[in-house]
Amino acid sequence: MEIIDKQVDGVTILSLTGSIDAMTAPQITEFIQAQIAKGNTKLVADLKGVDYTSSAGLRVLLGAIKETRAQSGDLRLAGIQPDVQKVLNLSGFTNILKTFADPDAAVASYK
Amino acid sequence: MGDKKRITLVIGSGGIKCVAAAGLWRVLQEEGITIDSVVGCSGGSMYGALIANHVDEKVMGELSRTLWTSDIMSGYTESLKASKDGSLRFNEHSGLVDDSVMNKKLREVYGDLKFSDLQIPFKVVATDLLAGGKVVLSEGSVFEAIRASLAIPIIFPPWDVNGRLLIDGAASDPLPIDVAIQDGADIIIAMGFPLDYRSRFRSMTAVQEQLNSIYINNILTSTYAFYNLAHHAEIFPVIPEFDGTVSMFDVDKIPLVIERGEQAARKQMPHIKRLILE
Amino acid sequence: MTTIDKPRIALVIGSGSVKCAAALGLMKVFEREKIGLDMVVGCSGGSIYASLIALGWSVQKATDTTLKMWTREVTAKRNTRALLQLALPWLVKFDETFGLIDDSLVNRRFREGFAGATFADMKIPLFVTATDLYNGEQVIMSEGSVAEAVRASISIPFIFPPHKVNSRYLVDGFQSDPLPIGVAIKEGADIIIAMGFESPYQDRITSLMRYNFQMSSVTSNNLLKTNYAFHNLAHHSEIIPILPEFEHKIKLFDTDKLPYVIEEGERAAEKQLPFIKGLLGI
Repeated sequence: MEIIDKQVDGVTILSLTGSIDAMTAPQITEFIQAQIAKGNTKLVADLKGVDYTSSAGLRVLLGAIKETRAQSGDLRLAGIQPDVQKVLNLSGFTNILKTFADPDAAVASYK
Repeated sequence: MGDKKRITLVIGSGGIKCVAAAGLWRVLQEEGITIDSVVGCSGGSMYGALIANHVDEKVMGELSRTLWTSDIMSGYTESLKASKDGSLRFNEHSGLVDDSVMNKKLREVYGDLKFSDLQIPFKVVATDLLAGGKVVLSEGSVFEAIRASLAIPIIFPPWDVNGRLLIDGAASDPLPIDVAIQDGADIIIAMGFPLDYRSRFRSMTAVQEQLNSIYINNILTSTYAFYNLAHHAEIFPVIPEFDGTVSMFDVDKIPLVIERGEQAARKQMPHIKRLILE
Repeated sequence: MTTIDKPRIALVIGSGSVKCAAALGLMKVFEREKIGLDMVVGCSGGSIYASLIALGWSVQKATDTTLKMWTREVTAKRNTRALLQLALPWLVKFDETFGLIDDSLVNRRFREGFAGATFADMKIPLFVTATDLYNGEQVIMSEGSVAEAVRASISIPFIFPPHKVNSRYLVDGFQSDPLPIGVAIKEGADIIIAMGFESPYQDRITSLMRYNFQMSSVTSNNLLKTNYAFHNLAHHSEIIPILPEFEHKIKLFDTDKLPYVIEEGERAAEKQLPFIKGLLGI
């Protein structure tokens, strides 16, 4: 799992590449925790490079969503690939979080 | 972690599409993955029982051919007509179909098999028609449990098990992952089948079916969402994809359905194996 | 957990026909305590009261409006086309516009009742949910005519025809989620006050229609419970259920019982009030 962070208009974009699952969960959690500790609570996860997410992966994403929201921030998703989109639909996540076609649209949604 | 992980297979409701479980079963055997227990709902319970009894996947395909034939719907057209002219009498024991043909066919396959006779533990989910809640069956006659879980409301009469009128498990929990969670599974392989939607409505029955599909699919999503968050370990969804619809008696499509089940299973295999070996 | 300086409060009113008026009782309590809302979400019957509350109307005005809009007459006129569709399907083609009742009166009543209001006119941001007939997904409405959105949200299956909004055929909101807490979560609410109602079961099933109603209750109650379980795990802050109890059965057009329903809503809200005030630090 590769994670790169970038600041745009006060929003932190996290570009993830690889699988979001039980194996990569600790690394992703740690990375997001570090962002929140720095006060970056408006997050966008760019999932263009993510081809797979498991139930453990979903719990990691949700953990980040809840923590940022508790600090008046949010985690919004962008660039979701078809296989990941299927899992997000099936697991009801699309009903509780905001998704966008690309990171720019997700960043703009914070304005 | 050196302990052996407990693996449970869940096969959801989906009518004839559930025969895709034969494809999944083939892949699991090839990969040498041992299943510790099985849970089934509605159509999925028919195949779940066979897997729990370690029946060969080829036999599963053949059985399906004889089970999913249109004669199990005997009396349907007449009843529907009677419902329109008002002469149909209907109560909580009723169904539009005369279920004797289906019962006979299921008896031929499952006979007097008891849950305790099966190779590995097996559970079936049905719904209590009057109280509305989910009911888990894991004792006594396998036939009775499957028959109850298969009782598509309105179409097939409910089935009385221990004084409770039971219907299709899909009405409460179309992909009962929670039963596997309660049994302490570490890895759950869940084969589910979202219902197809219609794009045209030519009859009242079509509208009724669509509204029912909307309910069941939304229950499927919300239960899956909850179980994903509530469970500590991994759930691997195996959702076979079909181009176009597979309707109730498409027995000619059985080989295709099995193939799609196999494909969907193979897609998850690398992830499942990685976790087992972890 | 970190505390939020100024929590955003949402009121979500689930489906439950006339019982949803209990939300007006809750508003009485909230007004007295000066607890303001940041958004209101409504589904099916709940969308009527969500809209009346979002308009900022008094409980009296909201009650009067309900009495004018929702009377037995709105289902009195049979849809002759539907009868022909059932009897002579080869002459009058059956299609998605099917509904046993002519909905022109209910449509007019909603237009008059909400006085042509649009979502932009609301004092509190309003969201109304319905279900897409073709793909089964929840549809969230937050723009355009409130009357149209409410009508779509109350497309009681088989009774009223699906309602077309922005070229989509919409059916009742309870088909996808009887208590749409997810909308409040998605829209950034912190404290969510959720007023929900279980669908009643039939005392006796004596006909095919009653069997249908029973099945609708079975499936929607299961959907209500599993969604509620999911939303509780998914939300970062508190979801406070307000579940009014009714000794008497409240039927679809029992608007004469509105004062009683409102009173029970008030009672249920009073019960949760200390907890809500604690959360808000007031």
